[in-house]
Amino acid sequence: MMNNTRRGRLLAAVAVGALALSAAACGSDEPAPAAGASGAASAPAEKVEITLQTFGGGENFAYDDAVAAWNASHPNIQVKYVNLTDRFEDTYLPQVLQWLEAGSGAGDVIAMDEGAMGLMSARPQYFADLSQYGLDSRKADFPEYKWNTGVNKDGKLYALGTDIGGMAMCYRTDLFKQAGLPTSRDEVSALWPDWNAYLETGKKFKAALPKVGFVDGANTVYNSVLAQEAGKNGGQVYFDQNQTLIVDKNPGVKAAFDYVQTLSTAGLTAKLRSWTEEWNTAMQKGGFATMGCPSWMLGVISGTSGDANKGNWDVAAVPGASGNWGGSWLMVPSQSKHPKEAAEVLNYLTGKDGQVAAFKEGGNFPSSLPAQQDPAVADAKNAYFNDAPSGPIFAASVAQLSPVFFGEKHAQVKAAVEEVLVGADQGSVKWADAWTRFVEEGVKAAG
Amino acid sequence: MSLDVDAGHRTRMLPSNQRRHARPPGPRRLLSWLDLRAAPYFFVSPYFVLFAIFGIFPLIFTLWVSLHDWQLAGDKTFIGMENYTELLADDKFWNSVVNTVGIFMIATVPQLLLALLLANALNKKLRGRLVLRLSVLAPLITSVVAVAVVFTQLYGRDYGLVNWLLSLFGVDAIHWQNEKWTSWVAIATMVDWRWTGYNAIIYLAAMQTIPKDLYEAAAIDGASPRRQFWGITVPLLKPTIIFTVIVSTIGGFTLFAEPVMFGAGLMTGGTTGQFQTVAMFIVKEGFRDFQYGYAAAAAWILFLLILISALINFALVRGLGRSR
Amino acid sequence: MTTLTQTRPRASRAGSARLDPFRATPFTKAMLALAIFLSIFPIYWMIIIATRSNEDAHSVPPPFLPGGNLGENIQAVFDAENAHFMTGIINSIIIASTVTVGIVVISTLAGFAFASLNFRGRNLLLLSVVLTMMVPLQQMGIVPLYQMMVTLGWTNTLKAVILPFLVNGFGVFLMTQYTRQAVPRELVEAARVDGANTIRIWWNVAVPAVRPGMAVLAIQTFMLIWNEFLWPLIILTPDNPTVQVALRALNDRYSTNYVLIFAGTTISIIPLLLVFVLFGRQIIGGLMEGAVKE
Repeated sequence: MMNNTRRGRLLAAVAVGALALSAAACGSDEPAPAAGASGAASAPAEKVEITLQTFGGGENFAYDDAVAAWNASHPNIQVKYVNLTDRFEDTYLPQVLQWLEAGSGAGDVIAMDEGAMGLMSARPQYFADLSQYGLDSRKADFPEYKWNTGVNKDGKLYALGTDIGGMAMCYRTDLFKQAGLPTSRDEVSALWPDWNAYLETGKKFKAALPKVGFVDGANTVYNSVLAQEAGKNGGQVYFDQNQTLIVDKNPGVKAAFDYVQTLSTAGLTAKLRSWTEEWNTAMQKGGFATMGCPSWMLGVISGTSGDANKGNWDVAAVPGASGNWGGSWLMVPSQSKHPKEAAEVLNYLTGKDGQVAAFKEGGNFPSSLPAQQDPAVADAKNAYFNDAPSGPIFAASVAQLSPVFFGEKHAQVKAAVEEVLVGADQGSVKWADAWTRFVEEGVKAAG
Repeated sequence: MSLDVDAGHRTRMLPSNQRRHARPPGPRRLLSWLDLRAAPYFFVSPYFVLFAIFGIFPLIFTLWVSLHDWQLAGDKTFIGMENYTELLADDKFWNSVVNTVGIFMIATVPQLLLALLLANALNKKLRGRLVLRLSVLAPLITSVVAVAVVFTQLYGRDYGLVNWLLSLFGVDAIHWQNEKWTSWVAIATMVDWRWTGYNAIIYLAAMQTIPKDLYEAAAIDGASPRRQFWGITVPLLKPTIIFTVIVSTIGGFTLFAEPVMFGAGLMTGGTTGQFQTVAMFIVKEGFRDFQYGYAAAAAWILFLLILISALINFALVRGLGRSR
Repeated sequence: MTTLTQTRPRASRAGSARLDPFRATPFTKAMLALAIFLSIFPIYWMIIIATRSNEDAHSVPPPFLPGGNLGENIQAVFDAENAHFMTGIINSIIIASTVTVGIVVISTLAGFAFASLNFRGRNLLLLSVVLTMMVPLQQMGIVPLYQMMVTLGWTNTLKAVILPFLVNGFGVFLMTQYTRQAVPRELVEAARVDGANTIRIWWNVAVPAVRPGMAVLAIQTFMLIWNEFLWPLIILTPDNPTVQVALRALNDRYSTNYVLIFAGTTISIIPLLLVFVLFGRQIIGGLMEGAVKE
């Protein structure tokens, strides 16, 4: 454990250094390497088609405009953009793994969610080394952790970051009004400087509107708290950097667990599981009042709640410090027949122009630091959320992000332990047994 | 020769021994011997050739995989029977077996009984038989996905139609996914809705091969419709009943889509695995946790379980007619 | 309806209605009415939702009468990005028809051999057919079959979908059981004594007698293959889907838009409804034919 803390502190120090560096890089306006690696000079003699595979519902990834712009200016490298499915864990990931194993079927550029990055990092043989195509020069464009996650266990650069989650708190102005709480986002942010104050606000809300949940359920609140706590613990969540399971030892995990228990036993949750029909319906019908909101969640809320609820939702600051939940990477499978051209496309999409285009189209907050500085991002407002200044809110949130490390089995452990939390919230697991079970399930899932 | 013209099924009316002396001699005898010996293999060969290509290969591959610590798109190490020993000690696996058997029982027994009664009713003289029979078969045209979407909504905790109906009688909202029994009942209704009519049609098809005079004679002897049903219909339907029981057993043991959709598309089957079936367990291990070797071993054990229970059911149903 | 006229005189010949074992009692009629209501209602409701707006679909209690949005909802399904609904319907028609014809022929042949012919290893082979039905191929066949198709270079072709579906132990088993019931052994022996060879016996004796069984198998195969999802999803690309894959894509992208999904589902069952309406008489007629058999 000594080791862990020391390593954590060391990493944090590196992160701070890197941030300073990258900030400096941003200052120098145009990031030269991004343009240098691709560009017209390296255009192939023959026309090639690059297949780009992504996942996600609604506007996720939002590459339509970015791809159209690329195809217009690169007649010899045409990108075919395929959004395979919105289900990452059940459909996309198993299928991509199968394609990788079979040596055929995967696109030339594929997207990957953060939960599976540990898994991908342990399978270096399936991905092209991006530094071969000059993309190692992009380091200064990214926050430390976003960059490091794309470097696998052999030290090979195999993925570059796309969007980043950040963290805010979404809330229903109509329900807050009914409960006699303030509704403007500054006043609401002031209600909850920390998670305790958030709990107290919840109790007031429940006293006024006993039938409505203050939060949706266990998943979102747990991930919001955990995102912050992970930062405090050297970026570790369920595994340390040696791939040792620390679900029972990480105080951040226990803190997030305890907080969910407090909220749930106080009766403040609507006992809903994320990504279910009931959850969607409750979002439309005002079944709950607040929800932890990474940047990509705004699109989920607006897409699900529909036009009828436009203006009912708003965005306030998240209690506590900043944290990150979610975000993706792009990579080039080694089975690609045109790795060089694929790397060029990848470079463009993860670069400033590609990320700004995706933000404009779908609201995905860029991880690229130059893209974050772009006025189109930095000054952005979200019309659906009462013109909330989503650009500044998330920029502030991601500015102080700490690095996070994903173990190889991160996704499986996450799924298993959250199952216990949801069960305890909904009543199929007793809270008294929940922590023991939580740890047990985590251990089992880690194999 | 009357057989050379297109006599169709009327050939059966020919008295069998009239033309015995007309059998062709010599080389034609060899041909007919070949026809007798080889033709059966020719008849079954299309199935077995296809099976050899698209069935045997995956089976052997799966067996081979089950002897490895085989990570999907990852490391593969030979470990012998270790997956099997681990599996037999895995309480999650056994939980999924219990769920599968439980859902199978509460789905299949009422389903086949209802199908028999329904078939018997459809076998009566009724106006608009065609429409009636097609209506009963109608659920088959909907996909599992559509069924699951509709039923999951019907069983919704907060906004579902079933809970709304129950609330009219003062029953509190039930969280159908939360308990074993409630989730099993909900899933069983989905399965039964889709398959009862289909089984009824299968029974009906078989019922119509039963000669009518059997019933007429029994009726004249004063046997009640109920006695005719249990005394004539059920025993004569035995091969068909055996067929449906075995097919339902297989369907029940590989039950997958309904519980998956009922549980929000997850393979866990509820927060504590209340309705995780063996097929879901296999997919979770193989395609969510990427322990393909472990999943392959579970598939082989599932195969054995199906075999055993099909044999038990076969024995039970065979006894059915004897108790007459 | 021809059969009704054929059976009615029989009933009157049998004398008093009370003696007729095929008389439908009021209880029978009530039970049938309930069964048909339960069978039809969810489908009816699905179509109702497809004709409404999204706000209506979420009201409690839900609507039970059609609205006026069907045309616009169907338009939206065909316009839906990423779903390729029209391609999906065409692909599914090709796949389901081919597999249906294939399975019915293969199963009728094998079923006849197992039920009516004697040959060495028959019981063992039949047992192996039943055994193959018990293998959860759906779950475990996917990885090896995918690798096979990659090796053959058949990924994203319809034959890669069709061929593995032709392996259907269920069909062989069904036709074996059915042939056993419908084709008495003596009949086969009699035809053989008359000098008919096996193919002729199959065609002239067995096939006419097992037609109802073939009809049931055909309709069931067509519907199951039409609704098959997992294998096409894996072997075909999203821009060349089957109807169920297209439906899933629709569900993925517009998961909260019930109206759109239900409209998609409604469109997806239209070809099956057509099969029902066009061939229903033949399918069920096959069953009716048995009814007049003495």
